[in-house]
Amino acid sequence: MKSLVAASVGGLSLLAVAIIDRPDPTTTPTLTSPPATSSSFDASRSDPPVRPSAPTGRGLGHPVLAPAPTVMAPSALTDVVKKTCAGCHSEQRKLGNLSLQGFDMTNINGSPELAEKMIGKLRAGMMPPPGRPKPGGDTLDVLAGTLERMMDARYALNPNPGTRTFQRLNRAEYERSVKDLLGVDIKAESWLPLDTKSANFDNIADVQMPSATLLDSYLDAATEISRLAVGDPKASLSTSSYRIARLASQVDPVNGAPAGTRGGTSVTHTFPADGEYVFSITLHAIPTGQLFGSAAPFDEKIEISVNGERMAVLDVDRGMSQADPNGMEIRTKPISVRAGPQRITAAFIRTFEGPVNDNIAPIGHSIADTQIGSQAGITTQSHVQVFAVTGPYNPTGVSDTPSRRRIFSCRPLTPAEARPCAEKIMTRLGAQAYRRPLAPNDLKGLLTFYDAGVKDGGFELGVRTAVEALLASPHFIFRVEEMPAVSKPGSRVAVSGIDLASRLSFFVWGAPPDSQLVSLGRRGLLSDTTVLIAQTKRMLADKRSIALSSRFAAQWLRLSDIEKVHPDALQYPDFREQLAIDMVHETEMFFDNLVRENRSFLDLYTANWTFVNEDLAKHYGIPGVVGTDFRKVQYPANSGRVGIFGHGSVLTLTSHANRTSPVLRGKWVMEVLMGTPPPPPPPNVPDLEKTGESKEGRLLTTRERMEEHRANPSCRSCHVFIDPIGLAMDNFDVNGQWRIRENGAPLDTRGDFYDGTKITNALELQKALLKRPTPLVRNFTQNLMAYALGRRVEYYDHPAVRKIEAQVKANNYRMQDFIVGVVKSDAFRLKKVMEQADSGAKGASAPGVR
Amino acid sequence: MYFLSGKAMPRRQFLQNLSATIALPYLDAMIPTGRGSRIVANKAPRLVAIEMVHGAAGCNELGSKLNLWSPAAAGKQFDLAPTAMSSLEQYRDYLTIISNTDVREAEPSSPNEIGGDHFRSSATFLTQAHARQTEGSDVRVGTSLDQLYAKRFGQETPIPSMQLCIENVDQAGGCAYGYACVYTDSISWSSPTEPLPVIRDPRVAFEKLFGVGGTSAERADRRRTRRSILDFVSGEMSSLKVNLGPDDRHRLDKYLEDIREVERRIQRVEARNQSGDPRELPEAPAGVPDSFSEHVKLMFDIQALAFAADITRVFSFKMGRDGSSRTYAESGTDKPFHPASHHGGTERGVKDFNMINKYHVSMLPYFLDKLKGIQESDGNMLDKTMIIYGSPMGDSNLHNHRRCPLILLGKAEGQLAGNLHIKAPDGTPMANAMLSMMHTLGLNDQTKFGDATGALNLNSYA
Repeated sequence: MKSLVAASVGGLSLLAVAIIDRPDPTTTPTLTSPPATSSSFDASRSDPPVRPSAPTGRGLGHPVLAPAPTVMAPSALTDVVKKTCAGCHSEQRKLGNLSLQGFDMTNINGSPELAEKMIGKLRAGMMPPPGRPKPGGDTLDVLAGTLERMMDARYALNPNPGTRTFQRLNRAEYERSVKDLLGVDIKAESWLPLDTKSANFDNIADVQMPSATLLDSYLDAATEISRLAVGDPKASLSTSSYRIARLASQVDPVNGAPAGTRGGTSVTHTFPADGEYVFSITLHAIPTGQLFGSAAPFDEKIEISVNGERMAVLDVDRGMSQADPNGMEIRTKPISVRAGPQRITAAFIRTFEGPVNDNIAPIGHSIADTQIGSQAGITTQSHVQVFAVTGPYNPTGVSDTPSRRRIFSCRPLTPAEARPCAEKIMTRLGAQAYRRPLAPNDLKGLLTFYDAGVKDGGFELGVRTAVEALLASPHFIFRVEEMPAVSKPGSRVAVSGIDLASRLSFFVWGAPPDSQLVSLGRRGLLSDTTVLIAQTKRMLADKRSIALSSRFAAQWLRLSDIEKVHPDALQYPDFREQLAIDMVHETEMFFDNLVRENRSFLDLYTANWTFVNEDLAKHYGIPGVVGTDFRKVQYPANSGRVGIFGHGSVLTLTSHANRTSPVLRGKWVMEVLMGTPPPPPPPNVPDLEKTGESKEGRLLTTRERMEEHRANPSCRSCHVFIDPIGLAMDNFDVNGQWRIRENGAPLDTRGDFYDGTKITNALELQKALLKRPTPLVRNFTQNLMAYALGRRVEYYDHPAVRKIEAQVKANNYRMQDFIVGVVKSDAFRLKKVMEQADSGAKGASAPGVR
Repeated sequence: MYFLSGKAMPRRQFLQNLSATIALPYLDAMIPTGRGSRIVANKAPRLVAIEMVHGAAGCNELGSKLNLWSPAAAGKQFDLAPTAMSSLEQYRDYLTIISNTDVREAEPSSPNEIGGDHFRSSATFLTQAHARQTEGSDVRVGTSLDQLYAKRFGQETPIPSMQLCIENVDQAGGCAYGYACVYTDSISWSSPTEPLPVIRDPRVAFEKLFGVGGTSAERADRRRTRRSILDFVSGEMSSLKVNLGPDDRHRLDKYLEDIREVERRIQRVEARNQSGDPRELPEAPAGVPDSFSEHVKLMFDIQALAFAADITRVFSFKMGRDGSSRTYAESGTDKPFHPASHHGGTERGVKDFNMINKYHVSMLPYFLDKLKGIQESDGNMLDKTMIIYGSPMGDSNLHNHRRCPLILLGKAEGQLAGNLHIKAPDGTPMANAMLSMMHTLGLNDQTKFGDATGALNLNSYA
């Protein structure tokens, strides 16, 4: 070991902390000591070994680490691995299902996957694990750095941009495409099956498996959407229902509802024709069938309005019951409404304010518990469960709507003008839907449907039928990328300009490209890196880039998991659906702000500010925020919140209904933020539930139960990583509120981060994590790449990830630099020509059985 | 716990409508006339394959001592009272319990697979095959029992089979431990490499079965347009193929096959309509209900309705998702499903988990009532149906796959005797029981299935 230490002596002095100009002077310093790690190789790796002394900055900002160019001979590194790693990773023990007994640095080029795996573990500082001997000095950094340089050199010799099959429009992309094309708001979930996720994302091409049901679903959607967009004067009677979550509070006015109302729901509903519609409300009942809220002192009233104008007032009969002929449903008389999107609202008329003279007044509560809805002494309010629109009765035609204005750019005045006008309409819509100019054959195909429709019902039906065909066309549904006919298997080809325009647009906007982008792509100008970057910047400045937050970040951070956690109604009575929505909105807005203001990625961890509205501010205990609008606020001093570790979304989605879970939180950090998920628990592990909930006559805290659990050595080996991370966040309860006690006992959140750092709270956790920004940055880059490319990031992509890392590091990890870095990467702009079709997918298919 | 009494469960309007529709004599008006003759010719039983995840509390040592899953006595004189199946007592004549079978193919076969039980078990349930560990599209397990059956006997009905589920399969972060989500989410596999998508929304299921459109003329109109659009789409795809790489071309070919399948479905509907159009259908359900029991019951309503109208004869129904932390307040315990399944072997933990098992089974009588209430030519629908209910896991606390829960309900067109508890010899693969089920269903020439070592008599126990 002595010689190893000697060999790495130089490395220790190579750490440097650069000074970064912070755009936001209010940000507090988050790192005060020079981090004890190095970073990946980059352009400056050939610098002479003499390093400038580390500049001592103003203490502001994030560290940017200099590379460690110490060189060790391959044989020395092989020895390091054998001595340090091969004890556990032996042929016999094979811990982590890995043997390094035969490791040889000189042969590692033949095992790039293994090398990348080692780099990941080493850069995260996770191996050797806590308690095992480590070589001294920066030997392990040198090992990682050497492996990285070798892998990068290997990649440079034979770059591999990867490959995948074509993508199809998933639910979110389909919604956006239809909105862009026809101006109608639709819910794709009404027709399309759930998107299968892989590697966090719903747009990964190879798991978008075809099936007859899927195809049928696209056709159903095309049928319905063409009718909604063009309008259907012969629309048949149908019912559309809007459900209101049980957890939705009915006390506050909902967005879009007229003033003076509370609860209910307000939605934009697209009416297929001018005509009469019946609006109906179904109210929640208690388990025995009576109205939830029947103990109210008077009958409440529900107002039905269209575009803010009162159309009907319905009485809620307190005596109503599910046993009644109409059950819990009340409906209006037929009401005349015009075709097109209209804002419709069903909401209770607000009849009282202020405190209620009752023992218990859980009026703000959701109805997670339905049984309290009829008990004397408890004030409850009735809840709307379903708001439905049935119609049209007596349709009279279709009047002007935004989508009709968009479709009918011309109107034939004489029969002779009809077909040329249809041609004009379909040429324009077709180019937009196919994301490229139409070929003569494309137009011909669509006009066949126009002609058939005209025969049945005239010009409008002709256009509608052509639009239906357009929406069913594989050119619309599939994002097929052209492959040059001459391309040799195994070679690399450039993604064509038109296809690159779509790649870029679906990446940054989650939507189809606009005409400028298509035009640049068609003319081949996107192959010019300057143009490509300028376009990326233009698109980032556009408000549509919100998709990077609502689609990319939301999936990366798993925000949708919050829907799966319903905090226990008795322990957390304040939790309601609106709060969950607000929490997700907070995180999305925060991420969007980082992108839009081109802030540092590390602000995700270090920010002492966030975005809240009044409800969320109250929930967090932040004073002085009034109203429903979100705004940027500073976390109060001593709030304990920092970066996304303070976000209610993250804290809730990593909890159980009735208790926090340091394990889930620790796992979330390791998996989502660091990209190093803990291995699965071995079979036959005793669960936390096995440990008693109480001891010596009092309830145990989660920590105490975990410590009993961790006494088992087979659990300990992983939980020594997971638990301290989660415990550091345990001052936040199930729904993200600050607490200092649990089950009556003071919380003890102390723990040792796996590198030995003592951490007791989120701030210290964040600092411990930022000692090693490398895994955080690389994992973020990998996620961004997977989302941008529509494929999982593989070991051969890691050199590209490191290249992006080096590029963004130069300017303190600015968000837009990551995005530009991905766009500039080979993987984004090139593709590898497949050697042959994937044999695994060739299984005998069974027509007829889907 | 007064809501365990079962009276006046909360119901929404649709359920009332649907129940009313199912009840006689209204239902007769709905069944197309002239269809009876084909039914007589084709006595293929209806099949419902239900998977419940996480095994059962009665599958560990303590649980089996307490008879929390399988009854103590085998044969006909078994006592259901201590078991999680006590709610089936009134249907014991329709009940065949097959205990003590193993799902060894769900076990790990290499060190990499250890711990991934929750993510591959479901794929094994109806295939009894081992899932290839992959997150990509090269998934492979086996063809599932329901699909082997649908391929042979499902082609007469407009829709060969349908796949339903209760839990949202949209798990953020995808799945884990190297397994593609389809292994966790799909129990029906039309071939070893083709998992079938699952429908969770009762409304979508309803519209897929009964069509969209107000009147039969309108539905016919839409079918006509749909056919010409299918022609158009397949033409477009064929021309698209020219400029594609081999992988993309392969995927497009798959879509082209799907087009032919959609066309076939339309033809089936039209053939059926020529022999009489269904006159009236209940209103489509509004969407996914909040409550587990309401959702399950809606799905059962839809299955009963589809059987009555003979739109499909095969359903697979996934009532749970591995790792789910749903709580079932009505079960009597507020422990979440997955944490409760790791009961630690303690008496209290096992009993708590058993409450959830019991609650899940108690969903079934509702469906059995429905089916029994439907008369078709020579008998009630329950006589004509085989319902499989089981789990590919045994003792969930250990993630083991031994002595897993498995029961049959219904008489499968008189092929099942009922009122029987078959205790398989130790080490019998569940595949043996499933092979016999396929024989019962009429797949007499099926000699192999999964890791089956032979058949298992489902009608007698010596």
